Amino acid sequence: MGKIRVLVAKPGLDGHDRGALVISQALRDHGMEVIYTGLRQSPVQIAQAAIQEDVDVIGLSSLSGAHKTLFPKVIEELIKRNAEDIPVVGGGVIPSEDIPFLLEKGVKKIFTSGASTEALANYIQELIQPGEVTEIKPKKIAHIGIAVKSLDQALTFYTDLLGLELEGVEKVESEGVKVAFLKIGESRIELLEGLNESSPIQSFIEKKGEGIHHIALEVDDIESRLKKLKTEGIQLINNEAKQGAHNSQIAFIHPKAANGVLVELCQHDEGSED
Amino acid sequence: MTNNKGNFSQKENWENSVDHAVKRFPERKDPFTTSSNIEVDRLYIANKDSEGNELGYPGQYPYTRGIQPTMYRSRLWTMRQYAGFGSAVETNKRFRYLLEQGQTGLSVAFDLPTQIGYDSDDVMSEGEVGKVGVAIDTLHDMEKLLDEIPLDKVSTSMTINAPAAVLLCMYIAVGEKQGVPSEKLTGTIQNDILKEYIARGTYIYPPKPSMRLITNIFEYCQKNLPKFNTISISGYHIREAGSNAVQEAAFTIANGMAYVDAAIESGLDVDSFAPRLAFFFNAHNNFFEEVAKFRAARRIWAKIMKDHYQAKDPKSWKLRFHTQTGGSTLTAQQPDNNIVRVTLQALSAVMGGTQSLHTNSRDEALSLPTEESARIALRTQQILANESGVADTIDPLGGSFYVEELTDRIEKEVNDYLERITEIGGAVQAVEEGFMQREIQQNAYEIQKGIEKEEEIIVGLNKFKVDEEVNPDLLKVDEKLEKEQIDSITSIRKDRDSKKVEQALGALKKHAQDNNSNLIPYILDAVKVYATIGEICNIMRDEFGEYAGI
Repeated sequence: MGKIRVLVAKPGLDGHDRGALVISQALRDHGMEVIYTGLRQSPVQIAQAAIQEDVDVIGLSSLSGAHKTLFPKVIEELIKRNAEDIPVVGGGVIPSEDIPFLLEKGVKKIFTSGASTEALANYIQELIQPGEVTEIKPKKIAHIGIAVKSLDQALTFYTDLLGLELEGVEKVESEGVKVAFLKIGESRIELLEGLNESSPIQSFIEKKGEGIHHIALEVDDIESRLKKLKTEGIQLINNEAKQGAHNSQIAFIHPKAANGVLVELCQHDEGSED
Repeated sequence: MTNNKGNFSQKENWENSVDHAVKRFPERKDPFTTSSNIEVDRLYIANKDSEGNELGYPGQYPYTRGIQPTMYRSRLWTMRQYAGFGSAVETNKRFRYLLEQGQTGLSVAFDLPTQIGYDSDDVMSEGEVGKVGVAIDTLHDMEKLLDEIPLDKVSTSMTINAPAAVLLCMYIAVGEKQGVPSEKLTGTIQNDILKEYIARGTYIYPPKPSMRLITNIFEYCQKNLPKFNTISISGYHIREAGSNAVQEAAFTIANGMAYVDAAIESGLDVDSFAPRLAFFFNAHNNFFEEVAKFRAARRIWAKIMKDHYQAKDPKSWKLRFHTQTGGSTLTAQQPDNNIVRVTLQALSAVMGGTQSLHTNSRDEALSLPTEESARIALRTQQILANESGVADTIDPLGGSFYVEELTDRIEKEVNDYLERITEIGGAVQAVEEGFMQREIQQNAYEIQKGIEKEEEIIVGLNKFKVDEEVNPDLLKVDEKLEKEQIDSITSIRKDRDSKKVEQALGALKKHAQDNNSNLIPYILDAVKVYATIGEICNIMRDEFGEYAGI
């Protein structure tokens, strides 16, 4: 696939182009071709330039408060020229309450003050060449993690009384936990006991008592998923995957992003399962 | 000297003894640097004679310690909050509120059409009318803006550049109507076109005719508005565009030299206009670097004016400056934290000896400031002035080993840049070649990368984050305003004496063609008969052409 072509444009009279210039350079560093229009472009000029330059996406920047007038105008001019398939994203000083209006007018996404160039580049990549990051649905619930005070005591209940099959017990020193895996169908129940005071399991139990601690989803593409979640501004506990039990790669998503549930993504290496 | 040598070897001994501690407790960064990439030592010691000529005394050449002999012990800095939004009537209300609250000078923000010389009903103005400042089309708007504000008592700063002559003439005309002769008017017009090409973007004409308009203003004001600051040579926007502290000072001073060159070339004597040149700097977060930047800038300018331009009047040597805290340092996240940033930045400006100060409002990363935010910003200055004691002695950081060494270092680095710009052929040439623009853009990109890699910590942005609803009470400009402003200009065009307007514009056109003509009197005539800013600027657009950017 060819390089993504981006038109970065400054509609209206606003002369603040630090953001536009920084973004242009950042997108170039991400391997995209960027055409910057310069200052004081009318919506007509921007639409014409986008078509002439055959760009894949248009980025508009405005810091003067004229975005509610000018961003929709750019889209109108694209429609007039049958070029509404060119997506438009925007940024600058844009109050959050204006964002729904702009989205409704056809702007794909607004990046406001403090957004990272990385997030923008990933967003555009995903928008224009979604095939690059192949999305495969999570396969199954890999396990449900339960925080327990004492593994030995808990195992009596889960194995003897419930009759689940104990697969093994493993210490994960890096996490400060001792883990017992109990097989159930194609999933597992994972009992977790804190190894020391500073273990996250220990503090979880202190705060909330014993109980369900997290749910783990089995995925095939942990790295690209994390990248995508980051792009979307999802709060992650682990920005990158790390070594988990059973030779797996794991990463946690913050409960705030998942309605109060700690979600773990885990990926097992080929052939390592069972 | 022997004493200094002794100090150095003692310092070496001390550094050796520290090595051990550093191995056990590694330092947080290696190396520590300022915003301008100046390496910061672990410890500074006296490295020169602190009674030396370089430092000198306040009110004396080279003014490192301040331009007045008593500084804030006699009179505090002028607290000047930039304001202006929507209509002239609304802005007038905000001005009167600020004056009642104890503000001592006005500062007018104009909307973008006004700043680029378009009428509110011009097609280019769509969506921009009244957005970032007040819309001024004719003298009628200026009369409303300054209604019941006594121009002989209040000094007014106007952030206007390409059409500075037009707004200045409107101000003179309102003064006349109030019975205040132009000799009594005080204030400042920004009038700094070079930084518009570099960083701010509200240019109209190409550099050459723009420089002519600026020297026309110098000449006219020297005779008619002797108390008015004819230019505010601005590093503020250069810094906001992404430069570091050294670049801010260097490019501003280079631009200042270009104006002095142009005025001398047009036949003015350096001492006739140089005392009315004013400067405008930014204050960012690296506290000591900012203080050192102000002190170094003062010393560099004094030396240039005295040695290079051979100015005789000590007033020509003094770099007087306004400071505004750094808009681009404010975060949309946890906006109340911005109050703390502004306080720190304002303190650096005061420690640096500023003549006037604007403190930004906490909500500026989100929108134009609300009345409450604007009040907190002003109160911040009032607390510094009245409660902290920092204004009670002159140059309180003078003699700090660190600050003095940083001041020397910034002076040296600024001079290196000035040499490079001279080699290119001066600031005008450097702007046309895009030299400053490239330097700034590169630095802006490095800053952004540093933040994203978390090498630079911005509290609330890339560290110490919270979940928050960013939904404070924001100021909204009424969308009806654009229509009202258009109705108003339409009715003025109908009611005015169109014959007189034609005559005045005709005279302006004729004199615009003659390079030796001073255009200010003709602009004043046009303004008085209610010619619009767009009409006046278009006459000159026809003659001078428009700058196309690079």
